[in-house]
Amino acid sequence: MAFLKVENVSIKGISGCVPKNVEENINLPFYSSKEEAKKVIEAIGIERRHISTEEITASDLCLKAAEILIEKLGWEKDSIDLLAFCTQNPDYRNHPNSFVVHEKLHLKSNTMCIDFYHGCPGWVVSLSSVATMVQNGYIKRAILLDGDTVTKDQNPNNRESRPLFGEAGTATAIEYTLGAKPIYFESGSQSEDGHALHDEIGGWRKPFDLETIKYTLDLKAGRISEEQMRFKMDSMDVFSFAISKAPKSLKKLCKEFSINIEEIDNIVLHQANKYILENIAKRMNIDMTHVPMSLKNFGNTTSASIPLTFVSELHDKLTTTKQKNLVCGYGTGLSWASAYFETENIVCPKIQEI
Amino acid sequence: MDINEFITHFAEQFEETELSEFKPETKFKELDEYCSLIALKLIAMVDEEYDITIKGNDIRNSNTIEDLFNIVKNKE
Repeated sequence: MAFLKVENVSIKGISGCVPKNVEENINLPFYSSKEEAKKVIEAIGIERRHISTEEITASDLCLKAAEILIEKLGWEKDSIDLLAFCTQNPDYRNHPNSFVVHEKLHLKSNTMCIDFYHGCPGWVVSLSSVATMVQNGYIKRAILLDGDTVTKDQNPNNRESRPLFGEAGTATAIEYTLGAKPIYFESGSQSEDGHALHDEIGGWRKPFDLETIKYTLDLKAGRISEEQMRFKMDSMDVFSFAISKAPKSLKKLCKEFSINIEEIDNIVLHQANKYILENIAKRMNIDMTHVPMSLKNFGNTTSASIPLTFVSELHDKLTTTKQKNLVCGYGTGLSWASAYFETENIVCPKIQEI
Repeated sequence: MDINEFITHFAEQFEETELSEFKPETKFKELDEYCSLIALKLIAMVDEEYDITIKGNDIRNSNTIEDLFNIVKNKE
């Protein structure tokens, strides 16, 4: 198991932005009745999701989140030394998203740009990397952007994934703060089950050819049935992994660093679906009142789901009080990453829309 | 591990199906109420009651309740 302890680093603000366009689960075309739709909505806890229209990408969502965050923090653009971007849906095959946003934010030329390619555990993993880079004090201020637009290549006929996934972009401000309470991390990998969240076409192992381009276009247009799909999330494997590994990781983190779980204000879990969250909470003997959910109005927003939940559900507490937070991301890899950090009166603007 | 106890826990994951329908030889995927959510509930039940992690293939490779029981038993 990999533990990390990062000192002299604090989170100063979190912001989020979602597409204006909303898809209501009750209206999805493949349910035979409203009753059937309601039953699914009850189990997954997701009523609606924000879905990007064609012209909006993850970098647009994150750019908007970054602009409002930097403005509300009052940070001079020239004071930002590091810009990181975690996404699985970059604008281009080359160059990486951090450079795209670096240009649009007009950051200085000696700002370091770095991208992370990760799914649902991505925000916690990126935070561990960014915090580690900031801890020695040369990099004073960093912005971590995190967002995806996963529905862009989603099969509209997929009854399993379509009611789940929404889209969001987030920005997290991280600053070198001498004497700040440490941030703790625990993470690990179960790569033998990586196939459970796997999409093989279009990378360099299986580059696009005429046949797979046609398949992809057919998929997006809804001409591929669920049975014909090549990418299938194995939800049973993902579920089994999540309810077993997430509680174990959080418990290990608390044990290693003597964190008293009863003193935790917020346990922010990756927003996979309500049933998974309830099962994780049950295995940790924690009350759901400490487990905020942004699922109802935003769905599963992949790696952006943890920072988005901070903004949408904890805005008032974060901006006015001191909070002890546990977080856990799990999924792609398969892998998990947990963290503990404290926040005090951070900047947390209301969720933006574009 | 006792099969009758397993069947009781198994049946608790269903809401509408009659208790008498749950026997070792019951082909559970043919029950009207069986759906993908029930499959997840079964995985959660095995984790909770037996502290054993079963995966998608364990459910896919089981036809009867007894098949799943044997898979769980072999992981003990």
